[in-house]
Amino acid sequence: MAEFNTSVLDKGEISVINLKGYLDAHTAPKLENNFTQLIDQKRFNIVVNFEELAYISSAGLGVFMAYIEKIRENHGDIKLSNMSEKVYNIFDLLGFPLLYEIYKTEDEAVKKFVGE
Amino acid sequence: MKLKFSNSPVGTHVKLFTAAVITLFFVRLIIGRSDSLLFEILLVVILFFISFFLLLMLINYQRRQATVPLSLVMNLGILNAVAFLVITFAHVITSSLLDNVNQMIRDPGLVYNIVSILYVLIFIGYFSYVLIVLRHLFILNQIKNAKIYFNTMVLFFIMAALASQFFISENLSFIENTFLIVSVLLMIFNSVRISWIAFLSKKEKFYLLILSVVISILFAVNLGNTSGDGIHNQVLNSFSPSINSFTTTVMLYGAIYFFVLFFTTLFHLPTAEAYDRKAQEVSSLQYFSKLITEVLDFNVLAETVTDITVKVSHSNAAWILWRDSEQFVTLANKNIGYVDSEELNKIILNKINFEKITSTSTISLSDERDREGKPTIFELLSVSPIRSQGVVKGLLVAAKIEGRLFTKDDLSAIETFSDYASVAIENAQLLEESIEKERLEKELDVAREIQKKILPDREPAYDKLQISSVFIPAFEVGGDYYDFFELEDKKLGFVIADVSGKGISAAFVMAEVKGIFESLSKTFEKPKDILISANEILKSTLDRKTFVSAAFGIIDLEKENLCIARAGHCPVLLLRDKKTIQIKPSGIGLGLIETEYFTENMEEFKIDLKNNDTIILYTDGITEAKNDKLEDFGEAYFKDIILEGSDNTALELTNKIIKEVTLFSQNYSQYDDITLVIFKFGFRQSAKDGQDKQKISAEDGLAYG
Repeated sequence: MAEFNTSVLDKGEISVINLKGYLDAHTAPKLENNFTQLIDQKRFNIVVNFEELAYISSAGLGVFMAYIEKIRENHGDIKLSNMSEKVYNIFDLLGFPLLYEIYKTEDEAVKKFVGE
Repeated sequence: MKLKFSNSPVGTHVKLFTAAVITLFFVRLIIGRSDSLLFEILLVVILFFISFFLLLMLINYQRRQATVPLSLVMNLGILNAVAFLVITFAHVITSSLLDNVNQMIRDPGLVYNIVSILYVLIFIGYFSYVLIVLRHLFILNQIKNAKIYFNTMVLFFIMAALASQFFISENLSFIENTFLIVSVLLMIFNSVRISWIAFLSKKEKFYLLILSVVISILFAVNLGNTSGDGIHNQVLNSFSPSINSFTTTVMLYGAIYFFVLFFTTLFHLPTAEAYDRKAQEVSSLQYFSKLITEVLDFNVLAETVTDITVKVSHSNAAWILWRDSEQFVTLANKNIGYVDSEELNKIILNKINFEKITSTSTISLSDERDREGKPTIFELLSVSPIRSQGVVKGLLVAAKIEGRLFTKDDLSAIETFSDYASVAIENAQLLEESIEKERLEKELDVAREIQKKILPDREPAYDKLQISSVFIPAFEVGGDYYDFFELEDKKLGFVIADVSGKGISAAFVMAEVKGIFESLSKTFEKPKDILISANEILKSTLDRKTFVSAAFGIIDLEKENLCIARAGHCPVLLLRDKKTIQIKPSGIGLGLIETEYFTENMEEFKIDLKNNDTIILYTDGITEAKNDKLEDFGEAYFKDIILEGSDNTALELTNKIIKEVTLFSQNYSQYDDITLVIFKFGFRQSAKDGQDKQKISAEDGLAYG
């Protein structure tokens, strides 16, 4: 399928992962790497920005589940932001809004961390 | 002399040679000596045949032996030394033991006769072997008609020899001289073209240089010893002046040949090293290109590349700096440890843009320090890109220690090898890819097989319910699952589910899910409880990133109602009175969270069924089907089509939807499994009734609108 890219940006204590393109079973390892590296660096406050994500498959959703437990154990969290309606619907169907905090903008999500 | 008998069996030559030798003994010992011309001719003929058959034997022997030129030259040296000793010995013995040599020759005794015959035979053997060796060396030059040139020369030798015996008078001596001059010219002509030494290594050339000067001198000395009035001359002349003359000519040829050989070798010496290098490069390349086509193991290739690079570029160490996903690793290190090479890798990557490097470049390490602050052992590195499909995959690094430089030749050799390595690696990768593809396809076949066995092969039949289902697998098995459970009291349980992920792992989860629902549907009565239990089981068995979206429903045909619970699956659609109702009770996907939280968020939806109610279950393979513009089929369009098919039977509606999805995505490959299950409640009616019904529905629709 099409391309998928990520970039990780550190904003103080918080790391922001920007997603771009198509996240599916084939491209998921890239994002998995990002999470693994952040956990290795003990950076547990993570915001994932979905602004440029065009598509997410069920395997792509699985990536978030794989790391959330470990991160929350370490008093961190994965907060999601800037989802398109289409992507949000996929998250919504599976009940992800019950599992993750989802924000309209990246700033909101970052602020939420700082507030804590 | 054309050696036309050379193909005849060796045995015949030996017999004829032996016969000729016996004849010589017979003639010399029985008939003795005569001054008659006939006798002279007879002797010459006998001697000619002895030489001739000996030559044939030697040629045959030579042919069977795969001799290297250098060992032949060595043999000649030994032979000449022996000849020198024989001649000297003959001189010493005759001069000290025999007072009157001339007397002896004129009136020979039996012992003298036998000794002199042996002496002559020795020299026949001598010049025959010399001729054969020189002939062999001459043919090695691989010039056109080499044998003819050589044989012509020998023919002139014979003519000159015969002339020296039979045209002795003053006014005829010009014949001998003419033949002699032509012979000498041919000797020189045949000696100047020496190409075989080019194939010798530098060491061998040195060896040959010494040998050729020694042999040339030996020939000259022997030539000197045999001229004049020595016993050698007298003995040979007493048999035939021709044989004497011929021996001398051959010696002269030998002297000239090795004299020329000496200088040719001398002139070849300066280029010997370059030649050696080129020769090694060529043989390495040949070996390597053979390897590329035969060896498919990347690691073996890498080892070979660095191995040959060290040899050809005269480097002290070599390795491959390889990019493995994001990391840089050392491969196939030669004469350098991992730690040291990793250290140098850092320096290389600092000084060179890995992705942008296009050709071989050198890096000086003279300013670099190792871990302990000492200068690095290596002073100079050469770095060449190894590319595959246009991308730099690695670097071939060669290193030289202090005081050594990379010559232009070294660098071009390294460049060549990095190019070869690129080709080889590309090959290996393509092969790996095709194997991987094949493996994947096999795996997918297995996954499809599992999926086929898991899905129901037919729909259950009820009077009051039409059931239609369609499943279209994607190339990669998508993990879709649906099933029907015929329960007690005219109840029908159904499930539709989608396992996250694809391929064989999804197929296995699917099998597990089938087992779970199969048993839970018999244990629990409410869809909600079934999903809660399913979540409990799946949460503990699935890995963290795998989950299952599902919707479980029960249609009670007795009480005419539908009860549905949903766990993260696409909504269920209910088509009633020309309207679609989206049934989407709250519920999180199976296997995502602990049962407690799952249960809290689980709702159940219950509705009484009316005649003609159509229940549509689907997976996201339909709504996310794409066209060539990457647009989704979408829920809205899906609902439109469903509405259009309000009056269709379950089967008709199924076909209609699938047709539309197929048309929509005809220019785009199907990415996910497509599953569609449609129930239509109410008694099946005749076509006519159906039409009447259609009217009523249409009016109803208007009324609603």
